[in-house]
Amino acid sequence: MIVEHLELTNFRNYAAAEVHFTPGTTALIGANGQGKTNLAEALTFLATLESFRGVPVDVLIRNGEDTAIVRAQVRHPDGREVLIEAELTRTGRNRVQVNKQRLVRARDLLGVMRTTVFSPGDLALIQGGPGERRRFLDDALVAVAARNDTMRREVDRIVRQRNAFLKQIGWKTNPSALSGDETLTLDVWDEKLAEVGGQWGDARAHLVAQLQPMVTRAYEDLATQVTPIDFVYEPEWRRIGLARALAASRAEDLRRGLTTTGPHRDDLEMSVNGLPARTHASQGEQRTLALALRLATHRLVTDTMGSPPVLVLDDVLSELDPDRATALLTHMPKGQVIITSASGLPTTAHPDRILHIAAGTVTNN
Amino acid sequence: MSAYTPPVQALIDELGRLPGVGPKSAQRIALHLLKAEDHDVARLAEAIVIAKKRVRFCERCFNIADENLCPICTDTRREGSMLCVVEEARDIIAIEKTGVFRGRYHVLLGAISPMDGIGPEQLKIRELLTRLEPETVREVIVCTNPTIEGDVTAMYLARALSTLDIKVTRIGTGLPVGGDLEYADELTLGRALEGRHELRD
Repeated sequence: MIVEHLELTNFRNYAAAEVHFTPGTTALIGANGQGKTNLAEALTFLATLESFRGVPVDVLIRNGEDTAIVRAQVRHPDGREVLIEAELTRTGRNRVQVNKQRLVRARDLLGVMRTTVFSPGDLALIQGGPGERRRFLDDALVAVAARNDTMRREVDRIVRQRNAFLKQIGWKTNPSALSGDETLTLDVWDEKLAEVGGQWGDARAHLVAQLQPMVTRAYEDLATQVTPIDFVYEPEWRRIGLARALAASRAEDLRRGLTTTGPHRDDLEMSVNGLPARTHASQGEQRTLALALRLATHRLVTDTMGSPPVLVLDDVLSELDPDRATALLTHMPKGQVIITSASGLPTTAHPDRILHIAAGTVTNN
Repeated sequence: MSAYTPPVQALIDELGRLPGVGPKSAQRIALHLLKAEDHDVARLAEAIVIAKKRVRFCERCFNIADENLCPICTDTRREGSMLCVVEEARDIIAIEKTGVFRGRYHVLLGAISPMDGIGPEQLKIRELLTRLEPETVREVIVCTNPTIEGDVTAMYLARALSTLDIKVTRIGTGLPVGGDLEYADELTLGRALEGRHELRD
């Protein structure tokens, strides 16, 4: 899948901009703070309906404006042309059109366009808290099957409803202090969470099993040496089943007024050379592992969907030593690449087109 | 920095609080009302006030009624052995249009949703339990929405009714009739597959 053309209106620092990409590699060059990442962000917004920088939608709208528009012309490998248009509003109710047909639910857009983003922030996948790794796994599940988005939201909503209920019945110290009605209500929330949360745990476990060998291979490609990489996704609740785990933690949940076990508390443990990556790996190893996670996901989505997502390298090459930058570029599956950089590009990047960006304007040359 | 005079802005604000009416629609309706003939506007205002004054909830099933009981509860031709439980009165209208169901109804006036402060005691569940036995209901069909909250409400009812000798069923989820399989969303299609049934009896 290839993005031919991207148009922005009132998005971040762009009043109006139009960019034509090549099917090969397009480089966006400009000093810091000029809007390179904003272009990459607009493009990936159409794939995920959120910012890869993790900011709310209203931050994406230009100061003083009510709405922003992002429009992209996409060509699929079978020659099909798709025009995607998204209107972002400050109330968060995005309107989306595909080939001028309004989608009833904006989220139906997921899967129409796919991107893989590498950004310096990816280091948080290794160094950050468990939430970063859960988000990585869940984003990957949605990238391989858009329907997973519904289940992901269901799990989130059930947990929030259950937590709201726990708070309502007020910090009881003992399950036997609950009224019959309260016990019954908590039972049904447990049953629902066990059902949907259990399925989500299965999906994550399956994904981790698929990713592990691909990450190992990607790490080897980047580091140019064989390095044992291990993933462990074995939350306690999956061993005994979520229904039993929720029953076992009920007293604790009541005391703290929140759900202390379930998929929303999981972590993916990663190790390099048999040592935990978060605490024991060097900066270089951590950076390579973060890249390997993205590269492996990119390959998994490519294999599953039959064509590579658009690859966005946002300011990552400058952070890598020349060998790794070259290794990254040579091990990408064939496909469209968009690279942003404040300095020059490594010679192996071979951009087909270079665009210069200054203060929210794009010039071709 | 409203551009409208206070009475107009107040009208827009009130209209904007209605379900399904956004700020732009509220503005359009308000300006339309201001242009309309006095008697047309008076008729609308009167209709709202009268409806609000006359219409109330049925004492038995909490459907919308203009007497103590709604027309369905007073209709003796209805089968008293079948009871369909719905979230809102508008769901009754939808089911009635099918012409398939000849039993009676019970409106919960919502679904269990702790985030909105709605638990079983805020719904008409106690009223449901008290009417089941004297009315000799044999089957309760739970027709709450296929959402998290609707599902949980259905599960709650199934458990709350488990001690009674009454069959509790849940409305099926599946494909729209006359539609193409290829256009069904994956979740609906998945549920429809789970709810498959054998063709031979």
